[in-house]
Amino acid sequence: MSRDIFIVSNSVDELGGVTTWSHQMARLFTERGHRVHMIGITPSTVSHRSAGELPYETTTLYDTHPPQAWSPKTLGDLANMSARMRQARRRAGMREQAAKLTALFRAARPGGVLIVTQVWAMEWVNLADTGDLTVIGMSHESFAAARASSRFARVKRHYKDVDRFLTLTREDADLWARQGMNNVGFMPNALPWVPGTTSPRSEKAVATVARLSQEKGIDMLLDAWAVAVAEHPGWTLRIYGAGEDEQVLKQQAARLELDGSVEWMGRTDDVPGALRSASVFALPSRAEGFPLTLLEAMVSALPCVAFDVAPGVREIIADEEDGFLAAPGNIWAFAEKLGILMGDAHLRDTMGERAAVAIQRYTTEKIVARWEELFDFLEL
Amino acid sequence: MNRVPGPDLSVVVIVYNDAELLPTAVQSVLDQSLRSVEVVIVDDCSTDGSYEVAQALAELHPDRVRAFQLEQNSGGCGGPRNRGIAEVRGEYVVFLDSDDTLQHDACRNFLDAARATGADLVSGLTKRVQVRTGKSADWYPWLYTSTRTFESVGELPDLLVYDTLSTNMCYRRDFLRDNGLEFPVGIHYEDLLFSAQAYLAARRITLIPNHVYNWMVDDTGTRRSISNRRHEVENFVHRVRIHRQIDAIFRERGLDDLKLHKDTKFLKHDLVLHLRDLPFLDDDYRTQFSRLAREYMSRISQEAYERLEPIHRICAYLLMEEDWANLNPAIDTLINRQKLSVPLTERDGRVYWCAEHLDDERARAILDVTDLGYHAKPLRQMTLRAKLEQYRQTGQGIAVSGTVVNPLGRITEQAELKAAIELRPRRKGMRGITFPAAEVRHAGDHLTWRAEADLSKKLRPLGLLDPVWDIRLVLSIDGTPTVPMLITVGDAALETELPLRIRPRLSRLVADTLEVETSAKGHLAFVQVAQGSVSRRSRAGLDRALQGAPGTVAKNGLRRARGARKYVRSGETKIRVYHEVFSKLPVRKGTVVFESHLGKQYSDSPRAIYEEMRRQGVKFTAIWSYADRPEDFPADATLVKRWSFPYLRALAQAEFWIDNQGFPLKLTKRPETTYIQTWHGSALKKMGFDSPQLRVRTKDQQADYQRVLDRFDHFLIRSEHDARTLVPAFRLKDEVVLRSGYPRNDALVAALDAERKGGGRVRPDIVRELGIPEDRTILLYAPTFRNTAAGGVRKFEPPLDFDEFADRFGDRYTLLVRSHYLNTVVLPPSVRGRVIDVTSVHDVTPLFLAADAMITDYSSVMFDYALLDRPMVFFAYDYDEYVKDDRGTYFDLTKHAPGPVVRDVEGLYSVLDDLPRSESEWAVRRKQFVAEFGEYDKGDAARQIVSRFFRPGGSK
Repeated sequence: MSRDIFIVSNSVDELGGVTTWSHQMARLFTERGHRVHMIGITPSTVSHRSAGELPYETTTLYDTHPPQAWSPKTLGDLANMSARMRQARRRAGMREQAAKLTALFRAARPGGVLIVTQVWAMEWVNLADTGDLTVIGMSHESFAAARASSRFARVKRHYKDVDRFLTLTREDADLWARQGMNNVGFMPNALPWVPGTTSPRSEKAVATVARLSQEKGIDMLLDAWAVAVAEHPGWTLRIYGAGEDEQVLKQQAARLELDGSVEWMGRTDDVPGALRSASVFALPSRAEGFPLTLLEAMVSALPCVAFDVAPGVREIIADEEDGFLAAPGNIWAFAEKLGILMGDAHLRDTMGERAAVAIQRYTTEKIVARWEELFDFLEL
Repeated sequence: MNRVPGPDLSVVVIVYNDAELLPTAVQSVLDQSLRSVEVVIVDDCSTDGSYEVAQALAELHPDRVRAFQLEQNSGGCGGPRNRGIAEVRGEYVVFLDSDDTLQHDACRNFLDAARATGADLVSGLTKRVQVRTGKSADWYPWLYTSTRTFESVGELPDLLVYDTLSTNMCYRRDFLRDNGLEFPVGIHYEDLLFSAQAYLAARRITLIPNHVYNWMVDDTGTRRSISNRRHEVENFVHRVRIHRQIDAIFRERGLDDLKLHKDTKFLKHDLVLHLRDLPFLDDDYRTQFSRLAREYMSRISQEAYERLEPIHRICAYLLMEEDWANLNPAIDTLINRQKLSVPLTERDGRVYWCAEHLDDERARAILDVTDLGYHAKPLRQMTLRAKLEQYRQTGQGIAVSGTVVNPLGRITEQAELKAAIELRPRRKGMRGITFPAAEVRHAGDHLTWRAEADLSKKLRPLGLLDPVWDIRLVLSIDGTPTVPMLITVGDAALETELPLRIRPRLSRLVADTLEVETSAKGHLAFVQVAQGSVSRRSRAGLDRALQGAPGTVAKNGLRRARGARKYVRSGETKIRVYHEVFSKLPVRKGTVVFESHLGKQYSDSPRAIYEEMRRQGVKFTAIWSYADRPEDFPADATLVKRWSFPYLRALAQAEFWIDNQGFPLKLTKRPETTYIQTWHGSALKKMGFDSPQLRVRTKDQQADYQRVLDRFDHFLIRSEHDARTLVPAFRLKDEVVLRSGYPRNDALVAALDAERKGGGRVRPDIVRELGIPEDRTILLYAPTFRNTAAGGVRKFEPPLDFDEFADRFGDRYTLLVRSHYLNTVVLPPSVRGRVIDVTSVHDVTPLFLAADAMITDYSSVMFDYALLDRPMVFFAYDYDEYVKDDRGTYFDLTKHAPGPVVRDVEGLYSVLDDLPRSESEWAVRRKQFVAEFGEYDKGDAARQIVSRFFRPGGSK
């Protein structure tokens, strides 16, 4: 059946995993004949997308970013009148925006679904009247990552009464269930794309694609690389991406005397091409949800090495089957696994081909079908 | 979607005389997030109108609720549930009792899991909810930590033997019908048999971590459900009969392994439920019970006993032997697990529960409690059994007498004994009263005591909030108080002819008399009741008052007061007070706060600096932090308990902080305060930001950690190795680093100097204190701790057999064992004098000086002990695991170690066979090691620190 589907995110036009995911799903749902409406709470400070060509409707509630949430924490705060007034204005503004949401939701046909991709956006949805819509809240990060942030308490509070609260993996869902979130389920991300041809794994190159920020762990990869490349001269590490840590990382590479074996490729628009020219993929992140780059590397038939930092990572890589996991932060283990792949062409081929097959469980067809089954199930 | 018409899931709600609660149970189903659920109510021929209520519900929800009634009462849960199975239309079936409820998402989660895995059975978490308080506890939560699917119950036998409820499960209807699964009728514990049969028949079982079922437990009313009436022999008969039936199924199918699991569980769970009641029941019951139990238990294999905890094993054995004299106290320990209820006996170097039965080898294995460490644990930390002999009400108060266990005669005849009686309301947070001057006497394997307490004068209860009072015996041995002991009533007669009058502070309307009673755990206690002429209300009157509005108001007031106190004492509040109040007070010049190993010890470099300051007569205010007990800390310093308000205030106002590990991480150091971080050892394993654990943290988390480290104004190092490892690992600035060496090691350097200058090796006092003969060579075994996979501290399991060591080397060597301060070790009495536990000695330095050789593994003691130039052996039995699996090392121990690295006990023993040879063989390497890792330890570190910071003209 054709459904009205609302996807509500913090923003419809910012750069980031969740927005990319939202647009991918909006497109896929539209292709399946559903009527999709993407709603952002605020405009992104820097717009990265033009909304005009999209085959579905988009709406942004605020014209400018609303004031930060604030609550009194000390006696002094209680007397902070200007902050309290700002808060009162914020709340009034939120109710105003929620009324807009209510109007949009009212227009939906029976069987409508509302997907809230981020808990921050849920604060507005909770102020709106969702009527008969099936409400699905999502957390696009691991339980551990949420736990380490303010989102832990906010998820428990704002997603408490949604019809289904979706995490990325069963393991994450189980952890949330033990926190008393009994409405939890899980839904993996879909493959962003499928390449025309996979990598022949002929170049002595290890690739990584990541923003150059601390969270992505390139510093640990460089340390590990120094150990691995010493044993396997002739190999190159290609780092695709840019970011705030670029200079620091380059200095680190220089200090480790890796200038000959590390290539800084900058940001690329041709990720498939980058992966096609590599033979191994490295994911040294400190925190992950359900990493798309890993899906992309595996569908390109690359064996991967990653720190085992999240259920999503161990869900995607079958350790020692189609890739390797290293204990979080253990750069010697990471180097060892890289070394095993760098030193064994046969193993690279076996694991890479296995990866390309295994990753088919996340094709867009399969994931969209799971979503539609979920919509049906929640109507029971 | 293709669906057969009808609901996806049916909930069978059974009811018997529960018209009041039935609608709540049914509503919990109607309110499920899954809407495609029907309710099938089956009434077991109630007489209270339950069926009419059920019919009304069916009328109200004709599409969703149907009501049935059995023609005659079946007397249990089985009959109505079987009827339900016959009536349901849903693809899946769930059972619900009329006094319980389903969690809101239970059905949706059951259905989701069942469809995803195709399981015949899906089982989720039950919460036992106390109706009165609303408090809940998870039922076997360890079975439900994650979603798991099994093809057979054999993959997780615990499931079959532990969670034997039938109500937290979702069954595929056709699975029940095809397998002819029905509840037995006319017998209690029908769930046990039904769930066992269902588990065994299921071809796939899925467990979900979701909370599905609320088991409402009501212990206030007169109604006692079947499961709380277990003191009736009839119940035990039923239980045994059910177990026999399950055994028969196991036998039929050849499931010996499951039988073993179930037998173990029978001994440790089912039997215990009944044993716990034994002390409260009469001889007639006991005889019947023991006959039944022994008959059934004779079929239980020895292997099942081996899987039990010692006390379970002991109770089961003594029951089989019908040794009531020893069983009764054993049950006391079973009920009150921290309590030692018998004097124990020592034979051939082992400690046994009792002196009887020891001729039998099997009995010895069962009764051996050496590993529990009763013989080595400090008396002040033990809870000894106090037993009541006589109880008499005198009119003004009570006269009581009894005994106390004297474990292994450890309370000597010379010991100075004092005792007092303490009465304390059971409700937490209320004050008790002490009646001193009880008489206490030594009497061999026990003490006797006698006391009178004039309750009517001194006891002024509030009257409403403190209805129950516990009485304890407080014993002190040579001035050290022991853990206050509750008093076991046992078979003592309670003489209550004269009533105990009291005058409650609130009003005599609610209570004017104390009545003695035996608590659920078998201890003497008092309950306030109203009996006098002022108000002849019964005990129920007080109960009603407590249940009613005034009681609730009063209790809430108390709860709030307690909550407020808890809030004031919470860590968060303390941190805030530290920053917002204490840190605003002026810094007090000359105040130095010392701490060693988080307050656990008076030791290490902070101690060495402190003692040097005292030696030099520095004028300063000394404050030492202690974690648990202030004993063994210096008497001439102010002692503050770690995390107490005085501690926080001392830190906030101190001019100096000196410690070796870290003051509480959340406390900001004021700029006026100088923090001297002495640190506690050079590093073999990767530390700080070099460790994977820290490496993988986020930027914010790393910044938090850096802020903690940045509090150090000075960081002591003892070599350039430290400068290359610890300093960058903690990202310390160069100006912070003090190349002074470790103050704690000054004594070692001095000792070696003295020895070299011809003074010979002078043994420190501790050798005499430990009673070690002069001619004995002393070895110190000091292993470090190991982490568990989860990052915690693993329990220390000695890698060598101390008995074997003592037999082989006991005539030559005395072995001092010092486990890491995060660990403990228990030595059997058999090795007494030959192997000595020195873990609790605060300061390791005298032990170093005492030891003629050192055995360690990866502990940083290697760097310090090396300064003495005495032989060292590295007993690295788990080297690969330790070094590679965890966080990596700064250098290869096998290449740099200043002594042989051995991988097993034989290797260790062969080095110990000829220590002098090893000593000379490794002399050169020891020198290299000291040069490389201890170059700044010159013996003057404490003097350097004192003259730099605490002498006129010194600088911070």
